[in-house]
Amino acid sequence: MFKAEKFIEETINNLKKEISGKSLIAFSGGVDSSVCASLVNKAIGNNLVAVHVDTGYMRKNESSDVKKLMERMGLNSRFVDASKEFYSALKGVDDPERKRKIIGEKFIRVFEKVAKKEKIQYLVQGTIAPDWIESGGELRDTIKSHHNVGGLPKDINLKLVEPLRDLYKDEVRNIARELKLEVSERQPFPGPGLAVRILGKANPERVEIVREACFIIEDEIDKSVKKGKMEQPWQYFAVLLPVKSVGVHGDRRAYGDVIAVRSVESIDAMTCNYSGIPHEILDRISTRITNTLKEKVNRVVYDITNKPPGTVEWE
Amino acid sequence: MVKIFVVDNGGQWTHREWRTLRDLNVETKIVTNNISFDELVKEDINGLVLSGGAPRIGLNETLGNIDEYLEKANFPILGICAGHQYMAHFFGGVAKPAKKPEYGKIELIILKEDAIFKGVPKKSIVWESHNDEVTKLPISFICLAESESCKIQAMKHKNKPFYGLQFHPEVEHTEYGELIFKNFVKLCKI
Repeated sequence: MFKAEKFIEETINNLKKEISGKSLIAFSGGVDSSVCASLVNKAIGNNLVAVHVDTGYMRKNESSDVKKLMERMGLNSRFVDASKEFYSALKGVDDPERKRKIIGEKFIRVFEKVAKKEKIQYLVQGTIAPDWIESGGELRDTIKSHHNVGGLPKDINLKLVEPLRDLYKDEVRNIARELKLEVSERQPFPGPGLAVRILGKANPERVEIVREACFIIEDEIDKSVKKGKMEQPWQYFAVLLPVKSVGVHGDRRAYGDVIAVRSVESIDAMTCNYSGIPHEILDRISTRITNTLKEKVNRVVYDITNKPPGTVEWE
Repeated sequence: MVKIFVVDNGGQWTHREWRTLRDLNVETKIVTNNISFDELVKEDINGLVLSGGAPRIGLNETLGNIDEYLEKANFPILGICAGHQYMAHFFGGVAKPAKKPEYGKIELIILKEDAIFKGVPKKSIVWESHNDEVTKLPISFICLAESESCKIQAMKHKNKPFYGLQFHPEVEHTEYGELIFKNFVKLCKI
């Protein structure tokens, strides 16, 4: 059986041996990177530099929240706003695999810049089992290139350290609880962020739409969970579809975007079933999205696909 | 401690099989499917799991060194998905593209009681993910379970401790998956 306490002790000892010098951790503020940062920090202290990159594809207020989180965790931290670079790299790109690979490479180039300036040799990543499993290689088919594995450029000049490679999310959460990290129950958010929740071209205008829709879904579901009207889903968010549909707004024709509500239950992301969100909550989500984003979105649909055959994210 | 290795055929859930065994306090390791039988014997294993994978069994002639394991082993072997299809193919059955492939939630119906299904109700929910299936059972095997679209969901060799499952007992969403693994571990202890 997996024992968090034992894992923490062994990992800190191994990290002390593995790392000689300064390290950089790719810090998104999620459970995986927070656990990783905490473990490496315990092993090498301030020789660990935590870098958070605002890719422009983060959720509402997310990057400024992560900045504060890094401070609360006592990390030696850096913040890079690379949103303009990410937007221009993804301009005109609509193939999901190309998006993921471009984002994976961009991340590394940002980290390399920091590493060069601060004479850092190691890159710590919170890679977990589903990341490398789904990225494929040899016998295994590529389901999607996770930015931190399949999206890594070949000419990377940092040594990789990935202490959580053999773990699944539920095990990482156990460690987070053991370490008393405030993010232990945070829902997963993929590294490529909102870029893979916009089907088709992920330009800044479409980011604004999906960002607001994601915020509304999270907010409505969080409120309902607090009131005891539903269980906390494993992951819940909006997807902006690449189709338009006809609507009617105040006796006038509307022609706008479609948002899909995606919410799933799982413990490890390897199999999932869609959440049965009560209709009154779906109602509120639908009305609030179409009223808030009235110039843009006039239809909301509910994704009722399990994994397999679907995956959690749409790209 | 029971020692059961997982032979990796490139499945999405190979590592989940490893995790399920580890969580049952089994000494386990993932090995590539081209490891020789001698190397496995040297490790003194009590059983073997053949994982699923992307290779299309009905369309491929061989799968690593698995022929050798099926020919020589006297310890229990559990074939899952592609591993199950390959087992059927090796013993003279037929695996080919399914008329109705199954993905996700399916109802499993047990046809014949067996140690591998001890404690599992006649009908239960299992999770599937397959393009191919066993369409003809080898004569040395008996069928243990079916689903609406797939007639051979589980099979067992008549004289050897070899089992094949089309569905995936290793994933969280298969209702009695852990119990099936427990049953297999018990078979490996004998």
